[in-house]
Amino acid sequence: MINIIISDATLRDGSHAISHQLTKDQIAAYAKAADAAGIPIVEVGHGNGLGASSLQVGLSLLDDGEMLKTAKENLTHAKLGIHVIPGFATIKKDLARAFELGVDVVRLASHCTEADITERHISYSREKGKEVYGVLMMSHMASKEVLLDEALKMQSYGAEGLIIMDSAGAYLPADVTERIGHLAAHLNIPVGFHAHNNLGMGIANSIAAVEAGAKMLDASARGFGAGAGNAQLEVLVAVLEKMGYQTGIDLYKALDAAEVVESRIMTTVPSIKSESIVSGLSGVFSGFAKHVMIAAKEYGVDPRDIFFELGKRKVVAGQEDIIVEVALALKNKAQSRGK
Amino acid sequence: MNKKLVDFVQADCGQVIEPAVPMLHALRNQMLYITGGTGFIGTWLAETVAFLNDHYSFNTSLMVVSRDSGKFKDKAPHLATRKDIKLLSVDVKNILDIPSDVSYIVHAAGSPDNRQHVSDPLGVMETITKGTSTVIESALKLTHLKKILNLSSGQIYGRQREDLTAIPEESAGTLNCNTITSVYPEAKRYAETLGCAYWSLYKIPVVNARPFAFIGPYQYLDKPWAVNNLIRDALMNNTIRIIGNGLPMRSYMYPSDMAHWLLRILIDGNPGIAYNVGSPYGISLKDLAEKIKQYSNTKSSILIKNLNEDKSKFIPDDTLCRKSLGLVITVGIDDTIKKSLAWFRETLNSKSSV
Repeated sequence: MINIIISDATLRDGSHAISHQLTKDQIAAYAKAADAAGIPIVEVGHGNGLGASSLQVGLSLLDDGEMLKTAKENLTHAKLGIHVIPGFATIKKDLARAFELGVDVVRLASHCTEADITERHISYSREKGKEVYGVLMMSHMASKEVLLDEALKMQSYGAEGLIIMDSAGAYLPADVTERIGHLAAHLNIPVGFHAHNNLGMGIANSIAAVEAGAKMLDASARGFGAGAGNAQLEVLVAVLEKMGYQTGIDLYKALDAAEVVESRIMTTVPSIKSESIVSGLSGVFSGFAKHVMIAAKEYGVDPRDIFFELGKRKVVAGQEDIIVEVALALKNKAQSRGK
Repeated sequence: MNKKLVDFVQADCGQVIEPAVPMLHALRNQMLYITGGTGFIGTWLAETVAFLNDHYSFNTSLMVVSRDSGKFKDKAPHLATRKDIKLLSVDVKNILDIPSDVSYIVHAAGSPDNRQHVSDPLGVMETITKGTSTVIESALKLTHLKKILNLSSGQIYGRQREDLTAIPEESAGTLNCNTITSVYPEAKRYAETLGCAYWSLYKIPVVNARPFAFIGPYQYLDKPWAVNNLIRDALMNNTIRIIGNGLPMRSYMYPSDMAHWLLRILIDGNPGIAYNVGSPYGISLKDLAEKIKQYSNTKSSILIKNLNEDKSKFIPDDTLCRKSLGLVITVGIDDTIKKSLAWFRETLNSKSSV
């Protein structure tokens, strides 16, 4: 039976959905439930990862140390994971401290064409004996050949696995099959997939990934994540079981953990709202949705137009400040048309 | 570097080099010029020459060329301050003149660190290709030149063919040139061919060595190579992780054997020929991890993740070195691991006590 490693993004990607306002109680409750369910890796932190709390992408309620410490105290079997984007997270200030707090798994992420920026962080994390995975974000923006080239860099730096993220929820299953199949055929390390559900393809795309050779999948309880959310963890576990894959996760307890998220953490259950569909179609990072809605309201423009314009400009996470620029430009354009 | 570590390396030299001294007499009263001399291989050659001078009065002098000789002073201060070793800071691509009394050149410039290969592919290729032509061009002016040893790489073979138990020098290899991971081996292939062209045209004596895998003193545990990672995990009492099934076969040579082999190829190797340098004795990653666990007395457990089906091999055929030069491995895999563990443990201790 093929084993699939599930990495739980609920307490990290889900942060986006509540503007990074996770409380200690919420982290403790979910970490405990996920641990009881046998989930192998529980990611915790600001939506954009370690060291990302800022005015630009949103301030966390708790600092990284408080979040990690709380989670660690409530994990007995599950490994504590962090999402790390060099630039947000520095080695001395952030990574070293995270390791002191007991982080086990480091997921080193970069935009899909910028793997070079992860070299020092991957080397440092491996040197400290941590389990390290490379993550290529916004992977729909690159061809399978480019993704392989960048993935080979991460493999050379010492990554023990390579995950591509569908950060905008833009993929259809055939896109996933093509990219994951190519990576799995050419890398020496296992390949993983991180889905977003903007076009309702979260589970279908994850299954396509596994069928194409992925050995790791990311998911969130109740799909709690940026935009329309991620692949719904408990559904994914059920489907994988039905298909004959093994996850090591207790389905009943995963369902219980999902109840914890719904009753204690999420303010609204993720659904595929108009802006999420447009985000997926335009290929814009799901985490931009809240910022886009605010800018649309402030400048009196259609948020869907903002998304498509952002898509044309090929913006990536960390370029949130361009949203206002685009909204203002659309407003000016509309005004000049009116004149 | 503390005295214990210096003595450690000198004892290694004694064990391997002492019986081989009669075959190294050609180096007496000669001047060696080593490019990339502050790296792993260059440092071991310097240790060996120092040993020959101290214990057998070889009167061999050494010029160690690198971009940053300060690194050598930090890494091996006991060598950097010796009168028989001169340091020269210059980029190998910018070498103008090699001292006229140089009789042997070891061209070792070019880092084997695969992180650097993918992060700075153009720089890596330029150092190897332009560096090699610069060194050979400069060497053409030398009147006493006896040999140039060009350090190539076992990686030029690409993945070992499944039907081969070990890779012989005449193997055509399976390297795919259209990938970022081929930057280093393809540049090394070019450098070998370049040496062949100079030899054909000017009869300048260029011999090639193709180093495989080594483990021991002067290596670093942060390198993303299997054996380094397994040792690091064991010494830090972390879980010893193997991503795949543990079946891939590799081989490891102890660096004092490596230094001996390279000096013999430099002296007696035939120009225009390439020699594999590495241990012909393969070991699976699983067995390697078990030996490391056993000899390190670590509390670590071994985790075989079974996340790939890799059953690859990467083992050199040593027939050419063995039959034509009489070279054999003198430090077996068990001693290689024990010695490496002792070295790395001491370096970790000395770091933490700083």
